[in-house]
Amino acid sequence: MATQSNNYLLGLWDHEEVFLHAIEHIRHDGIEIYETLTPFPVHGLETALGYRDTRLHTAGFLFGATGTTFALSIMSWVMTTNYPLNFGGKPNWPLPSFIPITFEMTVLFAAVGMVLTYCVRNKLFPGYIPRIFDKRTTDDRFALVFDIEGKSEADVEQLKAVLSGQGAVEVKKRIFSENE
Amino acid sequence: MTERFEFTDGIKKTLYILMVVGLVGLLGSFILYPENQHSRFWTNLLINSYFFTGIGIFGIFFVAANTLGYSGWISVVKRVVMSLSGFVVVGAVLTLVIVGASYAHLHNLYDHWMIEDHRKLLDVTKQTFYNPTFWAARMVLYVVLWVVLGNRVVKAFSAKNMNDKAVYKWSKLWAALWILVFAVTESFASWDYVMCIDPHWYSTLFGWYNFASYGCAAFAFSILLVLFLKSRGYLAQVNENHIHDLGKFMFGFSIFWTYLWFSQFMLQWYGNMPEDTNYWVKRFNVPTLKFTIFLALALNFLFPLLVILKRGNKRNYKIIGFASVVIIFGHYLDFFNMVALEPNAVETHHAAKHEASIQKADYTLLAENKGAKEAVAAAEAVATTEAVAATDAAKEEVHATEAHVEHAAEAHGEHATEAHGEHTEGHGEHAAVTSYVGLGIFELMVLAGFVGAFLFMFFNTLSKEPLINESDPYLKESLRHHVEYA
Repeated sequence: MATQSNNYLLGLWDHEEVFLHAIEHIRHDGIEIYETLTPFPVHGLETALGYRDTRLHTAGFLFGATGTTFALSIMSWVMTTNYPLNFGGKPNWPLPSFIPITFEMTVLFAAVGMVLTYCVRNKLFPGYIPRIFDKRTTDDRFALVFDIEGKSEADVEQLKAVLSGQGAVEVKKRIFSENE
Repeated sequence: MTERFEFTDGIKKTLYILMVVGLVGLLGSFILYPENQHSRFWTNLLINSYFFTGIGIFGIFFVAANTLGYSGWISVVKRVVMSLSGFVVVGAVLTLVIVGASYAHLHNLYDHWMIEDHRKLLDVTKQTFYNPTFWAARMVLYVVLWVVLGNRVVKAFSAKNMNDKAVYKWSKLWAALWILVFAVTESFASWDYVMCIDPHWYSTLFGWYNFASYGCAAFAFSILLVLFLKSRGYLAQVNENHIHDLGKFMFGFSIFWTYLWFSQFMLQWYGNMPEDTNYWVKRFNVPTLKFTIFLALALNFLFPLLVILKRGNKRNYKIIGFASVVIIFGHYLDFFNMVALEPNAVETHHAAKHEASIQKADYTLLAENKGAKEAVAAAEAVATTEAVAATDAAKEEVHATEAHVEHAAEAHGEHATEAHGEHTEGHGEHAAVTSYVGLGIFELMVLAGFVGAFLFMFFNTLSKEPLINESDPYLKESLRHHVEYA
């Protein structure tokens, strides 16, 4: 990916409370955070980062509605037009007996659709090589990543000072090679 | 933290007015509708007693379940949910009144088996179960357990020294005991209060179905009462996160109710067994009930689905409060649909039905034995001629088949010569149900009265203890409760 930056600055924290406060301060200073990496979900992190609500549930609703429509329409078409059968003396369009299948299809479409959407959105598809910023973010470190592509050395030094001032236990550069 | 709810005269006055309205409704329905041994009065009494008692015992159940589940969020609203049980003692008295009056044949709610001649028509196991003495003993047992054990459990939950380890562990034991007792009595009670009104019909998920119904109403009442207390300046610690959780439960139970309602309906519709479909055919033949059944479905399923599915709506006090009111009324309607038909339609129902079904049983059996179709036609002719007014005579074949064969055989001898074989089966179904009274001003007045009495008992219980139990080990967690997602 040519447009993606290869030069990053990492700040590592060892405590979530300090980390959350640091985020608030850094955002208050108007510094743009590229990525946040934590070993576990931190309560209140989205609010601190100012992320908007996930739109995954909207996607879920749309997938579910597709499932409902698909199940109802295919059953109605088969039972009334394509291959009408009389069983149990029921009408050819026995709506109540469609409901369980419709329900299952709704759940199936919504669930599978949401999982796929989630995976694609988070680049979790097979063959994708993720960039590891720091291995300890899966263990005991909370990391903030800043994009420093094209920034002057003075700016980077200033950013480093800000991070250290906010309680970062480690501040370091992370430079990826082109094919990584 | 130690704030107490003050049951002011202003609130009392409003509730007294509601109760007077209810009393006027009860008296009016008693005096103006003397048909069928004042069936309108008695059905109203039964529906409301059962509905509100169920809400009360569900309140204790919910706190018990949360106690066992180590849930912390409920701590600040615990007293409100628990105090719903204040009404149970009134419901118990009313239940005893209904049982006593049933014994004295003052009403016809359970005439299907209270009257011995009718009971004989049930099959043997049901005759045993709906033996009046056994039934009355069960009813008394339920209400005694609910009042006595319920009070003990509530006491255990509101102990002053909850942070004492021993006291805390005892409260868990009481919670477990209550869940056990509640599960059994609630299920049996649903059969003994409601399902036995028409003992030929049965549904194996009826207990769950009733549970879901007053569960929704209990959450709705909890939400409304918490909002009311907040509007009066109490419970400042309760915020939209707690309301959100109660709302999620209310929504979840609404969907659960729909699942059970639909399972019951769909299986019986699909199975098409006469003793099952009987229940629905009878109701769908009455325009009011056909309307209220679908209205209840709309209010209890579609409405919550469209209105409180959204996160923001569950956190909006106005919307969730409005939804609660709608859901309470919807579930009242649900119980109305279950109870109101049989006792009120009795004149055109009981008397002719049994005779007709006896004859029908006779001919159905004869036809099965000899393979003679004419015999069935003859039986139908007799049944319909003799019972034109019977709403559901034609739907009673299976009941009758299970009824006394000997009795039926005698009847056959008498009526065989009268048969002309001209009538069709549908005739009996469409006969007008003349004495059915429907959902009118009296039902609403009685409902208002019961709401008044329910709230009176609620506030009375609530005012006896501080609103928040300081010693609750989960209080801190509850105060910081925050729903991030969903």
